[in-house]
Amino acid sequence: MFFQLIVSGIAIGATYALMALAMVIIYKTSEVLNFAQGDMAMLSAFVAFTLLTENNLGFPAAFAGALAFAFALGAFLEFAFLRRAKEPNVLGLIIITLGLEMILYGLASWKWGSDQKDFPFPVSDFDTHELGTVVVSDLNLVTLAVALSLMLLLFVFFRYTKAGVAMKATQQNEVAARLMGIRVNRILMLTWGISSVVGAAAAFMIAPVDTLDPNLMWTPQLKGFSAAVLGGMTSLVGAVGGGFLLGIIENLFGGYVSVEFKSVVAFAVIVVVLCLRPSGLFARHYVRKV
Amino acid sequence: MRKGLILALSLALTLALAGVGVAAPVRGVSDTTIKIGQWGPQTGPAALWGSVARGTGCYFELLNAEGGVNGRKIEYFLRDDGYQPNRTKAVVKELLENVGVFGFASGVGTSPGMAVMPDMIANEVPWVGTATGSTHWAFPPKKTIFAVYPNYPDEAAILTNYILFTLKKEKIAFIYQNDDYGKGGLDGAQAEIKAHGKSLVAEIPVEVTDTDLASHVMKLKQAGAEAVIMWVLPKHAAILLGTSAKLGFKPQWVACSTLSDAPLMHKITKGLWNGVIFGNFAELPDSTSPLMVKYKAAFDKFADKKSDHWGVFFYAGFGFVEPMVEGIKRAGKDLTVDSFVKAMETLKDFKGIMGRVTYAPGERQGMREVFIGRCGEAEVTTPDGKQEKMGQAVRLSDWIAVK
Repeated sequence: MFFQLIVSGIAIGATYALMALAMVIIYKTSEVLNFAQGDMAMLSAFVAFTLLTENNLGFPAAFAGALAFAFALGAFLEFAFLRRAKEPNVLGLIIITLGLEMILYGLASWKWGSDQKDFPFPVSDFDTHELGTVVVSDLNLVTLAVALSLMLLLFVFFRYTKAGVAMKATQQNEVAARLMGIRVNRILMLTWGISSVVGAAAAFMIAPVDTLDPNLMWTPQLKGFSAAVLGGMTSLVGAVGGGFLLGIIENLFGGYVSVEFKSVVAFAVIVVVLCLRPSGLFARHYVRKV
Repeated sequence: MRKGLILALSLALTLALAGVGVAAPVRGVSDTTIKIGQWGPQTGPAALWGSVARGTGCYFELLNAEGGVNGRKIEYFLRDDGYQPNRTKAVVKELLENVGVFGFASGVGTSPGMAVMPDMIANEVPWVGTATGSTHWAFPPKKTIFAVYPNYPDEAAILTNYILFTLKKEKIAFIYQNDDYGKGGLDGAQAEIKAHGKSLVAEIPVEVTDTDLASHVMKLKQAGAEAVIMWVLPKHAAILLGTSAKLGFKPQWVACSTLSDAPLMHKITKGLWNGVIFGNFAELPDSTSPLMVKYKAAFDKFADKKSDHWGVFFYAGFGFVEPMVEGIKRAGKDLTVDSFVKAMETLKDFKGIMGRVTYAPGERQGMREVFIGRCGEAEVTTPDGKQEKMGQAVRLSDWIAVK
């Protein structure tokens, strides 16, 4: 039972990790917590669903289309709403994301209705591999692979590409970045686009296990946020590590201590981390370079 | 000249108002109409159950097409409360004070209903057939509130008894939503199994916000449950069956009547619902009873096919309200709150498309029986020509009354 709990924890943790990654990308560049993250991803999952079931596209085309939609949606929201904020401060921008969350939720309920739908996925959660007494499904493995490879990809992107470095620069000092010739607006738009794509990937992995409805990403977003805080809001590795850790802690707590309080243990963990190590477990202490 | 006109006008107005007063002494009732309201989530997380309220609308259209009840047409006021109790309160206030409805038909949700129950009691508003099996409506009895839906403890006791003596499985576990709804079921199952000198092998709570049920399933598996009773949301039932299939846990699943829409459940569980046993409070969709055939025709004629399908939640909107219509019918031409309550108390073994409904002075729980069904499968051809398996409820028992 112990090992199964750990493996199940890693499996669910991978979805938390993806959501955490999505949130961290935006936070890294603009210090904005994006509360619309989950519903942006949910909307992308609905687009994938429509492409699959109504337009009868194959999985590669449908998922590619939905990811393209996710990118456009993220970029559009940044362009149309956040950029329009007059004399923005971080708090104001966060409030805007809360508003966006409600708009997107309403939009999905209106367009697709609130009844549960079955989300088709090429990899099954019922095709399983057994290692001794421990069971792991194909879907778990795919989710894990997607989370790790996206993390690696983003890590490389931020460290070695010009756009990635420009994003980092934007976060550290927006004015200086602008003076150095970085088109800050464009960078922010790109950030939102990439973040939205990562979130959409998370939604594609979560929806086949859950049912597809407008509430799909509500809990995963909260858990992703918790994982990001746990790992350190500015660290990609931290976000992924935090996701796995949170999944494992939750499952062990549910298995050995109390199922009833399993879902709130994440928030207890946040409080403890914020008290003892406010920068998160994996991030270096946050210092703003002037 | 002008003064005279104003005087004449106000005199006429006073007379007109007085005239209305004489003709309609009862709120919401005129010689030709009865105003009836209902709330139901048309948006938000529980919108799946909102079809109950639309079903009631369809039922009233059918009745009006047949000439109404005792010559009075029903004016129906459906309001969306999004399953939010504060909005339910506002809806009821509006319908009572501005619209002036005679009473309320059905209404989805335990917490929305609980929020407005004090107003209903204080104003003696007739309210029949809330679409939940909570025990709060009928216990203790209130003058104008009539429950139809078999309450959750009764249903859980019947299902537990069925597992023990018909399926002959003794190791029963119970997984429930950690609120009034789930705990109501748990109470009934505990009481029933205790009466036979045994106890549940596991009692596992699920929070509404949970999305990962791996440790829940592990606990059920560890307890060695042969049958597991579910009192959860459709979403959680889907996650639960999926996770269990993955972890190789295959008990006999048994579900509450809130999960009795077999085609829907079969679809959202990717076929795992096949073989699940569940309680039913209304005839099955393909029933050939005369009333069901008539209601199906009404669905074909009046319902919006885009938002609704002929499923149990839709025609439950007929069934929950049948006793109310019967009460109005029996109250006759002289319809008041008191005559309505008296008429309702004469219902004995009243049979619509649900189980038998009986009220009496001091007895407000109308229905105390369910029947058992199982999800089977049927091959259907989808519009684009593909063969697909669809869930289909199969009836396993006659109506079983609580002992």
